Amino acid sequence: MDYPIWDVALGGGMLMALVAIPHVIVAHFAIGGGLLIAVTETLAVRRSDFELRELARRSSLVLILVSTVFGAISGVGIWVVAGLISPAAISALIHTYVWGWAMEWVFFILEIVAALVYYATWGRISKQAHLLVGWLYVVGAYLSLVVINGIITFMLTPGEWLASRAFWDGFFNPTYWPSLVLRTGIALLMATAFMIFVALRAGVERREALLRYLGWWLVAGCVVAYAGYRWWEAVLPGTVRNLFRGAEPALAQLAATRSFALWSLTAALLLGLVVLVLAPRLARPATAAVLALAAFAFFGGYERLREGVRKPFLIHSHLFSNGLLLSAIPELNESGVAAHSGWVARGGEDGASLGRALFRAQCASCHTLDGYQSIRRALPSRADLAALAAAEGPEAAERAFRAECAACHAEVGAQEMQGMLPSAEEMGQDPEMMAELNRGMIAATLLELRDMGEAFTAAPHGAMVDTAPLFAPYMPPFVGTDRELEALADHLASLDRGAEPTPARQGGL
Amino acid sequence: MIPNLIPSLDAAGLPGPPALFHVLLVSTFFLHLLFMNLTLGGTLLAAVAHRLGGGRGGDHRAVLAARLTAINTYGISLTITTGVAPLLFIQLLYQQYFYPATILLGWAWLGLLALLTLGYYAAYLYKFRGLPARGSGGGVWIAASALMFLLVAAIHVAVHLVSVQPERWAGLADGAWSVLADPSYLPRLLHFVLAGLGFAALVATWWAVRRARAGVEVELNTAIAAWAWRWVLWTTLLQVVDGFVLLVLLPQPVMRGLMLGGATTLVPLALAILLGLGLLMMAARTAEPAGQPGLVGGTLAAMLLAIAVMSVTRHQLRALYLAPFTADAAPTVVPQWGNFLLFAVLLAAGLATVACMLRRVLGSPASGAEAA
Repeated sequence: MDYPIWDVALGGGMLMALVAIPHVIVAHFAIGGGLLIAVTETLAVRRSDFELRELARRSSLVLILVSTVFGAISGVGIWVVAGLISPAAISALIHTYVWGWAMEWVFFILEIVAALVYYATWGRISKQAHLLVGWLYVVGAYLSLVVINGIITFMLTPGEWLASRAFWDGFFNPTYWPSLVLRTGIALLMATAFMIFVALRAGVERREALLRYLGWWLVAGCVVAYAGYRWWEAVLPGTVRNLFRGAEPALAQLAATRSFALWSLTAALLLGLVVLVLAPRLARPATAAVLALAAFAFFGGYERLREGVRKPFLIHSHLFSNGLLLSAIPELNESGVAAHSGWVARGGEDGASLGRALFRAQCASCHTLDGYQSIRRALPSRADLAALAAAEGPEAAERAFRAECAACHAEVGAQEMQGMLPSAEEMGQDPEMMAELNRGMIAATLLELRDMGEAFTAAPHGAMVDTAPLFAPYMPPFVGTDRELEALADHLASLDRGAEPTPARQGGL
Repeated sequence: MIPNLIPSLDAAGLPGPPALFHVLLVSTFFLHLLFMNLTLGGTLLAAVAHRLGGGRGGDHRAVLAARLTAINTYGISLTITTGVAPLLFIQLLYQQYFYPATILLGWAWLGLLALLTLGYYAAYLYKFRGLPARGSGGGVWIAASALMFLLVAAIHVAVHLVSVQPERWAGLADGAWSVLADPSYLPRLLHFVLAGLGFAALVATWWAVRRARAGVEVELNTAIAAWAWRWVLWTTLLQVVDGFVLLVLLPQPVMRGLMLGGATTLVPLALAILLGLGLLMMAARTAEPAGQPGLVGGTLAAMLLAIAVMSVTRHQLRALYLAPFTADAAPTVVPQWGNFLLFAVLLAAGLATVACMLRRVLGSPASGAEAA
C-alpha cells in the first residue's frame, strides 16, 4: 500500500492472467512433455522403433522452442508483472519463501541445461548417454514442480503457518499433496495435447499406433487430474469450499467455473478415448485442436477457481490482494493510510486528490476506471437512482432494482426502495440533492467495508477467516481514518457522470 | 513536509543474515553477467560480422556470425536461467527500491518481456532460416535480435539508475523518461555494451585459436581470431575511457564513499582499473592471436577476473548510492539455517549432476546406428 501505483488500462488481474495462463500451460507441458519424451525414447531404444524415436526427437524441438524460451521468459514475467501490480504481495511471498525459490532455481538449471543438451545431441552421442540426459531433465523439471507447488498452495491454504510462521508448515500445507497429484495429471494432459500435433506428422503406417499410444497417456492424465482435483476439493477448509459448493454457494460464478472445468475435463477424456484410443484414424489437426482446447479449458478453469476462492487474499488470512496486511488494519484505521504511505500523502490534503490517491492505493489492484472490473460501473450512480424512480409498474421497478440496487439492498424490495427514493420529478428538480444522495450511498458502502476490517481482525488468530458471511466476501476491507473515508467517497462520487451515457471502455485512473 | 516515498521494509524480515544474501546476489549476478555478455555482445558482434561479411558463408566474418549464433541460441536460455537468482535476491534485499523503480518505468519494464521473447525467436529464425542454416541471408533477423537485446540492456540500466536514486522518484513519477537525461545513463549503458562486445569477441578468439591449434580450418580460424581480437582491443580501450568517465560522473557523496571506504572499496576498484589497463596491454601485444594461445588464454582469464571484480564494485556503488536511505533501516532477521543448508546441498548436488552429465555427454560421442 506504500508503493507507487502503475496504471494499466486492462487491469492488473487481467494482465497477470495474460502472462500467467500461457506460462502455466507451457510450464506443465515442459514437465509432462519431458516425461513423455524420455519414456518414448526409452521405448524406442528398447524396441528399435524409428517412429517412436522420431516422435521423441521432433517433440524435443517443441520442448526447446516453447519451454526453454517462452516458458523461461514468461516465468520471469510472472515476477515482473507481480512486482508491477502487487509489489507488497510478491515481496511478502519472496521474503517467506526465498529459500524455496532458490532451491527451485537449482532444479531449473538442471532442467534447462539438460533440455538444451538433449536437443543438441540427437544423433551425436550414444543412446544410453542421451537417455540419461532425458531422464535427468525429467528429474529437474518434476522437482521444480515439487517446490513451486508448495508456494502456490501455501497462498490458498497456509495451514499451520498462520500460527507458527514456520517455512515447512506453510509448504506442506493441507492442499500440497492433492495439488501435486492434480498438477501431475495436468502435466500429462498438456504434454499429450502438444505431442498429438507432432504425431500427426508421422508416417501413415505408424501414425495410428502413435496416436493410440498418446491416447493412453491422455486418459491417464485425465484420471490422475480428476482424482487430484476431487482430493483437492475434499481437503479444502469448509469455509473455502462453501464459497463455490453446496445448494447456495456464496460465489455462484465460481460454482459455474467449477462445472465448466469438470465438463471440459470430461470432454477431453471422451475425445481422447474416441479420437486417439478407439478410432485414431479420425484424428485430424482440427480434432487435436479441440482436444487441446478442452484440456486448456479444464486447466484454466481450475486455475480461475483456485484464484477466485482465494479472494480477497493473496496469502489467505494474512495478506490481501492490494498488499494490505491483515495485522495492519487497526493501525491504519487509527492513523490513516497517508501517514504510512508517501505515495498517498503525495496526493495532497484536499478531499478529491487524497481520495484519488487512496483509490489508487487500495482499489486499483483490482479495479480500473472503465475497463476490466470498472469501478464506475460498480458504483451506484444518479442515473441508477433515476432509472428506479422512473420505473413504471412492478415489473419495471423489479428489473431496475435488480440491476442497480439488489447487490447491496437485497433485504429491501423494489417497491419499498422506490418508496424511499424521491420521485423522478423531484430528482430532476434538485440535482445537488441527487449528487448528495449518491455520495451518501458510496460513503455508507465504504463504512460497511471498513467494518468488514474489524470482522477480519476479530477472527481467531492462526485460523483461516471465513469470508462467506461478510458484506463483500471477495473484497479487501477499506482502511483509513474518517477523513480518508470521506475523501475516497468524494473521489468515487466525482466519477459519476450523472445522466451522461456510459463512456467507452477505457483504462487509467 | 516532503512525504517519504520509500516503502517500508517487508514485515516478514530476512530469512538469513543480510551478508549471506549480498554474497549470493553478487555471485549469482557474476554468473549471469557471463552469459549476458555473451548474449548481448555476441548478438551485436554477430550482426556486425554478418553485415561486414556480406551475409555469405564464404567470408570468415560470416562464419563467425554463424558460430556466435550457434552458441547464443543456447546462451540466451542460460542468460535467463542464471538471471533468475539475482532477480530473486535483489527483490529480497532491495524490495523497497527495486519495485518502485520498476513501477515508475512500468511499461518499459513490462516491455522487457516482449523484447526478450522477440530477440530470442529472432536469433532462432536467423539460425534456422538465415546464414547458419542456408549459407546466406537472414541479416534482418540477427540485426533485430541485436536491437532487442540492446533495448533490454537499456531498460535494465534505467531501472537500476532509478532504483538507487529515491530522491528523484517524485520527479520521475511525473515523467519517468527523464531518467535518460541522467548524465551517467549513456556511459553506464555503454559500459555494459562494451563489456559484452569485448567478452564475446574474446571468447570467439579463444575458440578460433583452439581450433586453429588443433589443425581445424587453420586459415579460417586464424582470420576469425585476428578479426575478433581487434574487437577485444578496441572495446577494451573504449571501456577503460568509459570507466573513467563513469567514475568522474559519480555523485560527490558516492565518490567520497568509494574513496574513503578503505580496502573494502579501494581494493576492488584498484584491481578493476589495473585489470582494465592490463587487458589493454595484453590485447595490444599482438595482431596475430592464433600464434599466441597462452596470451589469449591469459587475457580471457584476466577478463573473467575483471568481470568478477566489477560485479563487486557495482554492488558497492549501489550500497553507497542508497547509504543515506538505508542507514536507519535494518531489516529483521529470522534465519532459516536448515533451509539454507538444504539449498547449499542441493546447489552442490545440482551443479555436480550437471558437470557429470556434461562429462558423460562429451565422453560418449557416437554416430550412425549407434547414436541416439
